[in-house]
Amino acid sequence: MTTFPEMRYLARCLLAYEAVASKTSEPAESAALRVYEKLRQSLGAFAGVAGFQSLAFRALTQAKSEAPGLFAVQVAADGSLQGLGEFGPQLVEFEPQLGSDKDQASEGGVILIARLLGLLLVFLGEALTLRLVQSVWPNAAFDDHNSEVRRKA
Amino acid sequence: MSIQDKVTINQLPTGVPGLDEIMGGGLPEFSFNIIAGAPGSGKTTLAHQFVFANASPERPALYFTVLGESSIKMLRYQQQYKFFDPAKLPGSIRFINLSQVVLEKDLGAVLEEITKEVTKANPAVVVVDSFRTMVRKPQSDMDLQSFIQRLALFLASWQATTFLIGEYAEDELRDNPIFTVADGLLWLRQTNERNSIVRKLQIIKLRGQASVPGLHTFRITDAGVQAFSRTFGLTGHLKDPPSHRRLCFGIPELDKMLGGGVREGDSVLVAGSSGTGKSVLATQFIAEGIRQGEPGIVAVFEERPQAYAERASTLGLDLETPQKDGKLTILYLRPLDLSVDETMHSILDAVQKIGARRLVIDSLAGFEMALSPGFRADFRESLYRMIFALTGIGVTILSTVEVDESFTEFPFSTYSISFLTDDIIRLRYVSIDGQLRKIMVVIKMRGGNHAKDIREYEITSKGVVILGKRLTEYQGLISGIPVHSDRSDSNEEPSQDTGIERRT
Repeated sequence: MTTFPEMRYLARCLLAYEAVASKTSEPAESAALRVYEKLRQSLGAFAGVAGFQSLAFRALTQAKSEAPGLFAVQVAADGSLQGLGEFGPQLVEFEPQLGSDKDQASEGGVILIARLLGLLLVFLGEALTLRLVQSVWPNAAFDDHNSEVRRKA
Repeated sequence: MSIQDKVTINQLPTGVPGLDEIMGGGLPEFSFNIIAGAPGSGKTTLAHQFVFANASPERPALYFTVLGESSIKMLRYQQQYKFFDPAKLPGSIRFINLSQVVLEKDLGAVLEEITKEVTKANPAVVVVDSFRTMVRKPQSDMDLQSFIQRLALFLASWQATTFLIGEYAEDELRDNPIFTVADGLLWLRQTNERNSIVRKLQIIKLRGQASVPGLHTFRITDAGVQAFSRTFGLTGHLKDPPSHRRLCFGIPELDKMLGGGVREGDSVLVAGSSGTGKSVLATQFIAEGIRQGEPGIVAVFEERPQAYAERASTLGLDLETPQKDGKLTILYLRPLDLSVDETMHSILDAVQKIGARRLVIDSLAGFEMALSPGFRADFRESLYRMIFALTGIGVTILSTVEVDESFTEFPFSTYSISFLTDDIIRLRYVSIDGQLRKIMVVIKMRGGNHAKDIREYEITSKGVVILGKRLTEYQGLISGIPVHSDRSDSNEEPSQDTGIERRT
């Protein structure tokens, strides 16, 4: 099982955008958490808390098969993520050969977000998914990447 | 501005083809409306069409979803419709899910949430889907009434045009406060008639303007909901003044029998049994019209356009060229489950597109068979509306109808629709001298003289050809089994009524 490459690419862009936007040296999982929280707020209003929670739970389950270090991460009833703070060390413990904690943490976050976006892609299609993302990050400069995504999809 | 100036109520396009006409021009701005009906009747699709037709970035639409279909699945399915424009989301159309508030809190909190979102967005359109699920929890009557009243007042004050969508049964109409408060009430019905589905909508209530009463057929296609007004979209079209023009068949003897042809704007019925040449006569009528510069429509139900044109070519009539030139349209209307209104819509579109002056419906029996069983019961009434509407805009209609050949009776039609027609031409077989020959008689011409003669005719490679003079040497011709009489005055000219209008 692989994450849709286009969604993984878009997820990476979103995390990078959030990392830059925060102007801090916070751990990578914080950028992933911020992206996730913004999606939760937006999609929760649109699909309802329960609707978002269901999608997030499915996305996390898919992501765990690719990033076992996410095994302790849970989706709460309100759709929020719990346990993402322990993500990095656990990933290294399971897959020490894959690189630094930070890199793996970043990749796990990318996978989770990509899976969430991938579900939107499946249900809503590319046009609506990208419009929803653009509405959450209206000032983000990933238009060119989106074009790339659009071309590939 | 005068003290007597009335407020002008703007009408918003519904985005549903045909529905504006039914509503009397469109949906009144700032109105508070209910779309009611059973699950699957098209309520959400109709609301989406309205939303997509009216939402803009400046005045967006807020679409509140409650329990029931999830927003994600709703959008998954709704985006399959042609009217769905992804570019309008989420800037112009915003979906807001209220399930949590509805599940966990009371109606006061729901109203508060709606108020908050409306105040923030200043929407032109607000939809609550489904309102029924929002108020399903046990409430006191006072709570519910108060909620509905406050919601209606608030949304009207914010100059929003509102749709509340609900799965209501018709017996709930009486006691539900929501129907009292609502300015407009659209009811969508879906019923099974034998093996087919019949969808109809009704404007039960609409404040501020006159809608077209009655049940109107609608269909849901990949373009969304399409409604077919019972008035066929011709409301407000004035009936053309009576024309004195006569339209010929191009069959000299028949035209002479008709006093020069049928009057423009008449409804003509050609009745006869199988093989008597009804379609041939109809084809000659339409071909002669084209020859005279009068575009025509042929609505066929029993053969395809290509076959119809090929059959015409065997009579020396070219229907291919006028089709290419936009002077003739042959409509093939065979799909089952049609309503008369849908058929009419297709015909009217074609009439308006090429400016048709002549219309052939070949045949009424085929037309009836193409209808859903549920519509067949209304066939006569529907025909009346159709003929009235089309002749009202000056189109001359020739319909063919097959009648059972009886040798004891002389029926004009199996549909008892003679009263719908201005002119009737009857074709029939007759047994003469050991041959099954054909005779023709003009039974009726409303508003004109016509010959009383019974004429023999043949179908040749040039179409219908009337033979000789009127048949005077036989009696009982219309029984089909005439007896030879001694009297023979076949040299007489065809007789005409003299100034007396015949009404049959």
